[in-house]
This record gives sequence, structure tokens and C-alpha cells, in this order.
Amino acid sequence: MEITIIAETSGEGIHPVTEQLVGAASSLGGEITVLCPGGRGSDDASVISGVSKVISLQGDCFSSFDSGSWSTVMAPFSKGMVIASSSPTGRELGAQIASKIGVPIVQDVTGIEPDNKVTRSVYSGKVVETSSLPSPCVVTLRQNAFEGASGGGSAEVVVVDNSSEVSVSVREAIAKAGERMDVSDAEIVISGGRGMGDPSNFSHLNEVADVIGAAVGASRAAVDSWDEIPHSMQVGQTGKTVNPTLYIAVGISGAIQHLAGMRSSKYIVAINKDPDAPIFGVADYGIVATWEEALPVLKEELSKL
Amino acid sequence: MPYDALDFYDVDSLLTEDERMVRDMVRDFVDKDVLPEIEHACRDGVFPDEWRVTLGEMGVLGAPLKGYGCPGLSYAAYGVICRELERGDSGLRSFASVQGSLAMYPIWDFGSEDQKNYYLPKMASGEWIGCFGLTEPDYGSNPGDMITKAEDMGDHYLLNGAKMWITNGSIAQLAVVWAKLDGVIRGFIVEQDDEGFSAPEMKGKHSLKASVTSELVFQDCKIPKDRILPGVKGLRGPFSCLNNARYGISWGAIGAAQACFDSAREYSLSRIQFEHPIASYQLVQNKLSWMLREITKAQLLAYHLSQKKDSGDWIPEHISLAKMNNVDIALEIARVARDIHGANGILDEYPVMRHMANLESVKTYEGTHDIHNLILGRYITGIQAFTRETS
Amino acid sequence: MTIAVLLKQVPDTTAKIAVSGGRVDQASVAKWSTSPYDEYALEYALQLKEAGAGDLVAITCGPDRAAKMLTDAAAVGVDSMLHVVADTTEMDSKQIQSILAAAIKHCGADVILCGKQAADTNSGSTGPGIASIIDAACVGMVSEVLVEGDSFSALRASSSGNERVSVSRPCLFAFDKASTELRRPNVKGIMMAKRKVIETVSAMDLGVDMGESQVIIESHDSPPEKPPGQKFEGVDSVQTVVLKLREEANVI
Repeated sequence: MEITIIAETSGEGIHPVTEQLVGAASSLGGEITVLCPGGRGSDDASVISGVSKVISLQGDCFSSFDSGSWSTVMAPFSKGMVIASSSPTGRELGAQIASKIGVPIVQDVTGIEPDNKVTRSVYSGKVVETSSLPSPCVVTLRQNAFEGASGGGSAEVVVVDNSSEVSVSVREAIAKAGERMDVSDAEIVISGGRGMGDPSNFSHLNEVADVIGAAVGASRAAVDSWDEIPHSMQVGQTGKTVNPTLYIAVGISGAIQHLAGMRSSKYIVAINKDPDAPIFGVADYGIVATWEEALPVLKEELSKL
Repeated sequence: MPYDALDFYDVDSLLTEDERMVRDMVRDFVDKDVLPEIEHACRDGVFPDEWRVTLGEMGVLGAPLKGYGCPGLSYAAYGVICRELERGDSGLRSFASVQGSLAMYPIWDFGSEDQKNYYLPKMASGEWIGCFGLTEPDYGSNPGDMITKAEDMGDHYLLNGAKMWITNGSIAQLAVVWAKLDGVIRGFIVEQDDEGFSAPEMKGKHSLKASVTSELVFQDCKIPKDRILPGVKGLRGPFSCLNNARYGISWGAIGAAQACFDSAREYSLSRIQFEHPIASYQLVQNKLSWMLREITKAQLLAYHLSQKKDSGDWIPEHISLAKMNNVDIALEIARVARDIHGANGILDEYPVMRHMANLESVKTYEGTHDIHNLILGRYITGIQAFTRETS
Repeated sequence: MTIAVLLKQVPDTTAKIAVSGGRVDQASVAKWSTSPYDEYALEYALQLKEAGAGDLVAITCGPDRAAKMLTDAAAVGVDSMLHVVADTTEMDSKQIQSILAAAIKHCGADVILCGKQAADTNSGSTGPGIASIIDAACVGMVSEVLVEGDSFSALRASSSGNERVSVSRPCLFAFDKASTELRRPNVKGIMMAKRKVIETVSAMDLGVDMGESQVIIESHDSPPEKPPGQKFEGVDSVQTVVLKLREEANVI
């Protein structure tokens, strides 16, 4: 079976998730070709173990993202099972390629077997779906759900200079706004309580939040104690009800009113110096430590990812 | 998170689709705009002006009135609006009740064509707020003995007297005031800037804190001749307003009761004592089951009354029964819910104590619980028991 | 000039989902809502209509109950509604896209707005797939779209923030969550919606032969139970927890 991988690029190079795509593909067996849009990361891709061929697509249309023109160029090279990352661009590109080569696409797969059975999470994570795919087809894989392939390969790199008419023109890049996300919208929330000691210490939470793109919340005790912490940050009974995939509670004892606002979070991490704090009762991962000790390490560990 | 209302018998399925759409619209307003702000509003003792604007934009003020820019909805829809608003707060529902049933309704029913054309569109849009002056410091349950009087001065009327417990009084652009003209109760439209009229706010309430309550004071207040309501004389005027307001209250109280039930249920499931959620104890289950029972009965009562209102086949006693019963059970549910919350129940983290305090007012205004009993007593026996004199 | 917004009715994201007989038990879903990203698409579709970009039609493909969502859309200002009555639960991406592309053609729409993915199936294939079929410019991860003369200016997420892009008709915008407020209907709108008639058709009426689904759903299952909470002593455990968040919980 042929397998075509759409490389996920990052800047001018390759995104590490591409190694995971190759890793998953290798477990299926078959000849693996990697398509590198804009030629970005072609060399990196060629050394991933298991890759037999890299096609470096260097047409003009690849200067900015346009799934329509990209897929027009990529479709003729998309053979057999086509695998992309389930990043926003991967999903969009994958869907366009699938449509152009006339095969179905299954997105955001978290498990794949050689008999083309795939599993994925549906209904906001409340259901696991298992389905079998036809061949050929397109799948996108969830980041970090598969082991990455190692280096040490030496695939040939073929340069193709095809382009297609661009219909989406980028006029302006706008850097990420400095404004912090609202707790009710964020996938990750890190909240502080009165245990933070002083409102100025919330800067340490902000630093961690910046590393993982989290919103910063607070318990009512913190909001009531300190004018600097606005009510808009409050998570709990009279504040906002949040259900992020990850909630990190720092220096929050876990009063029933706070729990009411965050207990439906998918995963909860609690950092508290009091081993008997009720917050540990709802935490998936509890760390008994002071925030002064824990936050710098947390920031460092998260930065490594 | 959209509100998932307690509706054990699926009574709302009896509503029409557009009535349910109106419900969902108001529900969304309460969830997104009211609940996040209500405790601040109560603490500050203010009715947030944005709520007035949004009620006007949604087009729910004066819900069952037709024409003159009014919504023209069914009484069932009006009831649902009241229920959803009062799930937020009785003060919010009071605002809407007073505007629609007590200020817009008398103009709509008893006003001249000019009065209707002038006042109703801007009241329906929320641009103008109205209030209703009937109760006086010394005349509450017996408004017929009111002392506020109007004199015909030839080219104008002169109003003297005072009204008390007037919802919206200090924020209203107009007041529908009931006063005696030559010994006969008549309705007058008094505007905010009329000479000799003032509306000082009453402070220090422990109840309906997010609602403005005022006195209306008339000291040689000059009213143009065209501001008398031509269409009604006697107590029938104010009483027909009260019927509509009481009808809305009979629905509204269910909203407050639902809010208390929801909070009690959720709290009892998450509160652990003696190593188990308190919801697992029989005494608590008994309380919750009683709440469910009473709310379901109240819902059926209110729905059936709405159908009678919409078909015109109703008598005031029907409304008395519903107002009395539904407010009574709502207040008791709020008290029991407070009890289930233990000490936490006194905190403004939970809505129960606020609803409880509000409902004490709701039980008293628009005909006290006891007065409604007497209305029903008279209906059953044919003997009035309001006064010692027999009639 | 017609604008189309594609809406999907999904179990409310707060609703409990029960699995029975290897499938999600649709009948037990307590509350159905418009898929959240679609609501942003609808809001911006209304703004485009108000800016004079064309009449607005709301299109859905789903069972009878989905009509309620179209009536709700009419109450906030959608001009017309098209309901392709079909059970989409076992359809693959090709099938659903061919139906919706035909529905768009049926309405003569050349500006299409939709959510970036549905809250139930979590895919994100429909918008770009349709763009490919009808040969429209495709912009994903959109959080704002404005009329600019004959073309459109959209804000889309990029790896380094946002970028403003321009496209001309025909074009399709797949919406991410936007910062704009979603509008609420009013009584007038609700009364008007009551009078609007939903055009109801089948896939066959649209001339679509979608064949069999090529992706076979084998089963739906409840996700495995989370392990019980774990508590670690001391700051050295931070590294362990971060590792577990990545490998056990798969959330970072």
C-alpha cells in the first residue's frame, strides 16, 4: 500500500508532529512518500526513518496558506492512504485533497490499525468512535497520539515546481494580541486563590499561562480579597463555570463554591501546600508543594514541550 | 451553559412553538445578562438600566397587549416571560409586571386614542418606564378608602396625597395614579416633570433589592385635563390591572421556585457530610421530592390558567387561587432550599436566600396571601369577610 | 447574489450522551442545539446580509427535528430556509458534502459560511470539501468577515496570530469562535419566523446520488474511565505530572 504524508510545517522547517505521522504510517506498512508544501522542511523530512521519498513542492502558490490551490497541486501526488495532521491547516487541506481525489476523509484519528480500523473521539470527548476506512482515503491524526519515528533515514528528495491559481490572498499578518483569553473560552485554565498571598504574585500564573496558551482565573476568595483581581476572572458558583480540558488550581483550597465552577473540567491539577486541602479530592493530579516552589518548575517543564 | 429547566410533566410541550421561542429568548437573556449581574445589582440596590433596554429590544414589555407597538402575545407567552424573568430575580419580573400590567395595560384598556398613541409605543420599546400608584401609607388591602384626591380646577386637575410601595417610582417617566375625583376613583397619568410631583426612593429594603421602590408625593400637583383615563370609574380600574399582574406573578413565582430547586439539588449532590452527598439522605430527598411535587402542580395550574385567560373564560378568583398558591409554595421552597444549603444558604454565592427574601414581598404585594384567601372565601360562601360590616 | 449559511443541529455540548447497542442513543439526547461554531457563521452571515452582500438562506441536512434550528435562524433574520431531510449519522464526508453542495447550487449561493467543525462529529471536513466541489475560495479558522466592495476581507487564525485575507466570490468561510456577541431574536422576529416557510427537500430531489457510505462506523463506545486521582509530594513531582498530562491525559 502506498502512503502519502502531508508534512506539517512550522516556519521554514518541519513540525515535529510530522515524525508522528510517519511513525503511525510505518506501523501500517507500505511505501511512504512525504509531501512538503513550499519545499519547507524537505531535508528534515528526508531523514525521518521509514520515509522512502520526499516531494518538495515549490510552486509560487505555496507562499501563503490557500487550501484550494495547495490541494490542486498536491492531489495528483496524494496516492493510497493520505495522512495529515489534524491541525487546523491539516484538516482543511486534508478535506480539500479528499474531495479532489474523490475519497472520504476521517479527521482527528487517535488510533489506527493495519486493517484500516481507526478510533477517534466524538461528541466533545464523550464517545469513542471506531470505524473502518476504505482504501484509498484521507485521515488526519491527532497530535501526540502516536509515537514519532526516529531519525537516520535517507530518502530521495524530488523537487516539483507546479503551481495553481491562488484565490486567498494574505494582506496583513497580525501578531497574537496581548489580551488574555477569557476563562470560559480557554482550553486550559490556570487559577490562583488566596494562597497566592498577594495579587502581584498572579504574574507567576501569567507566565505559566503564556507558555501553554492558558487563560488565568481566580477563586472568589482572591477576587474578594484583592481589587487587582477582577470579577471577570472568577471561577465558581457566582463566577464563571468553566470546562476546559485542563484546569490547574494553584493555592486554591477547593471550597464547594469553587468546585461548582470547575469540577467538570476534563483534567484537574491542584498545587497546594496543604495536603488535606479539599481541592485534592477532585484533582486528577495533585502536587503538595508551595506555589513559590512549584510554578517556576512547572513553567520550565512546560516550556520544554 | 443553557438552562435546563425542571419540567417534570413536560408542561412546556403544551405551549406553541413561538411561545417556546419567546421562552428561550428570555431564558438566554436571564442566563447571559441577568444572572452574572444580579448579586451586584442587589448589593448596590439598583435596577440595571441595560435590562430595561434589553427588555425593550426583545419586545416583551406589555406582552399580551395588541396594537400601538405592543407585542400582541398570548397570555401563555406573557406567563412564560414572567416565569423566566423571575428565575433571574423577582425584582426583574416586578419591573416587567409593573410596566406591562399596571402601567401600559390601564392606558391600553381605559385610555383615550391619543393617550394610547402617545404613550404605548414608547413604553413597549422600554424608552419610557411606567409605575402604578394605588397603595397608600395607610391604605393597602383596602384601597377603596384611599385619601389621594383630585380636584377639577376647570382647565386642569389638582392632585394631592401620597402613594407608597411604588415599584419603578423613581425611575419612571410616568405614573398611572388612582385618586378620588368627587369621591369616585379615577385614573390619571402623571408625568415625571409635572409640577408638584416627586418620587423619593424608599431605602433599606431586605427584599427586592434589585428593584426600585418609591413613594409618590403629590402636593398641589397640576395635571392637564387630557391626562385622565376616560374609560373607567371606580375600583374596577385598578383591580383589572391587578388581575393581569397577579396572573403574571402566578407564573413568575414558579421561576423563583425552579431556581431554588435547581440550586438545592445541585448543592445536595456535591455537599459531602458523613462521607456521602447529603442528597443521599432520606430527609433531604424528602425535601427535594416535595419541591418537585409542588413545582409540577404549580406549573399545571399556571398553564391551565393561561388557557382560560387566552380564551376569556376566567374569573378573578381563578387568578387569586393561582397567585396565592404559587407564591406560597415558591416561598416555602425557597425556605426549604435555604435549609438544604445549610450555612452556605445565607451566602450570595447561591440564589436561595435572595429569592426567599424577594418572595416575602411577592407574597404580600398585589393582594396579600390572606386577602386572596378572603376573595376565595367570599366566592365559596357568598359572605365577604374583609370587614366586620356585613353587606 | 445569495449568501448561504450551513447549520447543523447537534446534541447540546452540555447534554449527556448515552451509548446503546454500539451507537450513540440519539433518542435519549435531552437537548439539541445549533453547533456552536455554526452560530458564529450565522452571526456573520447576518452581518453580510445587512451590509448588502445578498439575501441569506440557511441550509441544513438532518432529520425532521433540525427544522427547529432553521426557524430559530429565521427569527434572527435569515430570509429563507432549506431543509434537506436525511439521517446523516452514518454518512461519510463525501456523501454529506455532495448533498450540501447540491443544496447550495439549488439556492444559487456563491458566498457560504459554516462552522469549522461540528460539535458532535468533530471533523471539519464539510466546509473545505464543499469549497473544493463548488470551486470556491476557502478560508478556514475565520473569526471575522467583512464586505469590501465586490470582495470580502476575513480574519483567520495563523500559527503566529491572525492574518487578514481577501477573497472574491465564490468563496466559503469556515468559522472558529469569534469575539462578536451572538444576537438574540426578538418578539417581532419570532412572529415573522412563524410565517416563513421552510423549503423541505430530499437528497433525491436535489439530484444527488450519494451511493453507499465508504466509511463504516463499527461502534460507538463510552471512553474509558479516568484513573483515580493521584497525589504527589513535593516539587520534584512537577516533572512527573507534566509527563502524565502529556502521555496519560494527552491534554498538553
